[in-house]
Amino acid sequence: MKIVGITACTAGIAHTYIVAEKIQNAAEAAGHQCKIETQGTIGAQNKLTAEDIAAADVVIVAHDIAVSGMERFAGKPTVDIPISVAMKNPKSLIATIEKKIQK
Amino acid sequence: MALADILDENIIDLHLKSTTKDEVLRDLSAHLLEAGYIEDVEQFVKDIYVREAEGITGMGNHIAIPHGKSHAVKKIGIAIGRCENEIEWESYDDEPINLVFLFCVSDDADFASNHMMLLAELAGKLGNDERVEKLQKVTTKQELIDLFLN
Repeated sequence: MKIVGITACTAGIAHTYIVAEKIQNAAEAAGHQCKIETQGTIGAQNKLTAEDIAAADVVIVAHDIAVSGMERFAGKPTVDIPISVAMKNPKSLIATIEKKIQK
Repeated sequence: MALADILDENIIDLHLKSTTKDEVLRDLSAHLLEAGYIEDVEQFVKDIYVREAEGITGMGNHIAIPHGKSHAVKKIGIAIGRCENEIEWESYDDEPINLVFLFCVSDDADFASNHMMLLAELAGKLGNDERVEKLQKVTTKQELIDLFLN
């Protein structure tokens, strides 16, 4: 699968980046391609391009605050979760998505 | 600027004797004061608790990442402490913590954004379970720093 996603936490200092890494690692460990855009205090980094999004099978939005640019994902299967879900168990997050997307 | 510039042995303590969350925050803040990162421990700790009130900073794997956005901050950095005791801390996995990464950040959004980028990079590295396991075993500050640089 090709996964894209966005992470955004309350303070935009730590969780945003940790969770991005966790999702990335879990996705790659399961054999998927993954690119996560972080929206933190320093702005958006590793920004998703139109091509990234067009090629994606699923979008993960892990956030505790509003994220910007959600309109980019119109029509895409989107998994909307709080930061805590991805922080606690990124592997089962990916496994759950695999089941849903393959159905 | 590179990650090595933000990892400072003066604000790393691998033998914290603290027994409570409050002691951990104050002990690490004392290091920050001594090393010239903050100008006021009371104000800084107060600002950390403001963030603590907004959500859990125990990320699991016995790691906590409290962060203070405070105007008491003169220089952006990250104080790192490994505690000799297990510390009760609100955590995603409901386990106590012993490794603390205290983010020392100015409340001025435009302040030293290049430093903030480095903190973000460092935070990302904490998302790697393998690295986190090794952090528990390092015996010197330099070993700890090297784990983030490699």
